[in-house]
Amino acid sequence: MESIEKTGDTVEAAIAAGLAELGVTAAEVMVEVLEEPSRGLFGLGAKPARVRLIMMASRRPPEPPAPPPAAKITSPEPPVTEKPVRQDREKPARPPRQRSTPRPARSAQTEAEDDDEDMHAMAAPTGDEISDEQADDHARVAKEVLLELLKRMEIDARVGILRAESTRDGEEMHWILNITGKNTARLIGRRGETLSALQYIVRLIVSRRLQGRANIIVDAGGYKASRSERLKQLANRMADQALSQGRTVTLEPMPPHERRIVHLALRARTDVMTKSIGEGDARKVTISPVKSS
Amino acid sequence: MEEDLIRYIAENLVNDPEGVTLNRRDAGRNVILELRVAQGDMGRVIGKSGRVANAMRSLLRAMTEDDHRGRRVILEIE
Repeated sequence: MESIEKTGDTVEAAIAAGLAELGVTAAEVMVEVLEEPSRGLFGLGAKPARVRLIMMASRRPPEPPAPPPAAKITSPEPPVTEKPVRQDREKPARPPRQRSTPRPARSAQTEAEDDDEDMHAMAAPTGDEISDEQADDHARVAKEVLLELLKRMEIDARVGILRAESTRDGEEMHWILNITGKNTARLIGRRGETLSALQYIVRLIVSRRLQGRANIIVDAGGYKASRSERLKQLANRMADQALSQGRTVTLEPMPPHERRIVHLALRARTDVMTKSIGEGDARKVTISPVKSS
Repeated sequence: MEEDLIRYIAENLVNDPEGVTLNRRDAGRNVILELRVAQGDMGRVIGKSGRVANAMRSLLRAMTEDDHRGRRVILEIE
């Protein structure tokens, strides 16, 4: 398998250099970000971005019009139907051939995460734990996969299935898999990072086995559920503050699904507007008063 | 063990589970896991922008976080 490593001042620059060297387009490679660039202190100890580009073995005849769902996992450019948000933000279409530099990898990734978390923002359960029989195949397989993962992580825990509160009308049922046991604190991680990783892997495996999207939220000890509740309260408190002080309030940096909770919590309010600013880990939500005209 | 976790994930994501091999190597107090998969399956264990690989690394970190010896498990995919 052909793969090369490249460095550059930014992740985007490193990718562009790699693409130029391989003479391919962004759609033909997988990009692994090995190292984010760091600026160092006053230019000392600055480190370049390092990326690895791997040629995908897709120099086969054109794909059939409807690729199998499995292809979703490897395709660097998922179907646009999944990304209405990004489509809006993109500048008017350019012919793809003339695209000399790839879409900035970092923001693209952030957007992808946003999309991914979109429907799963609200981790609030409705009602109590339900039995396996009351859940559907996706939830049952997800629970089984999650238990297999936990067993291999040497965590002795049980997993309960709950129904998630829906965030919009007519959307598919979402399930919360809540892990309980004595070591569950270990499963949360910094800013919920470990939970996100578990959730991502569980969804990938489930959607491979059963086709279709796996609407699964992985929680531990109700962490996300209570965090989601606290974030909604915080959002409203900060919105009130923005109004009373007549200025924009900036929240702490948050991961994508948490930013989404803030956006959704304030969506119904007409007196404030929310925006995300910054890149990657530093991305945060701002809340501004809306001037009534 | 860490390699059981990675092997389970890899085997469940690839098209060719037989092509999955995992080698564990000690490097000082750290452990290096070398994951190999069939050529056509590389993308499936790395993911868009390395997302799958990074998720696996997060889980490994969670497993060794409260290890008193400060041991780390490093995942290499090749």
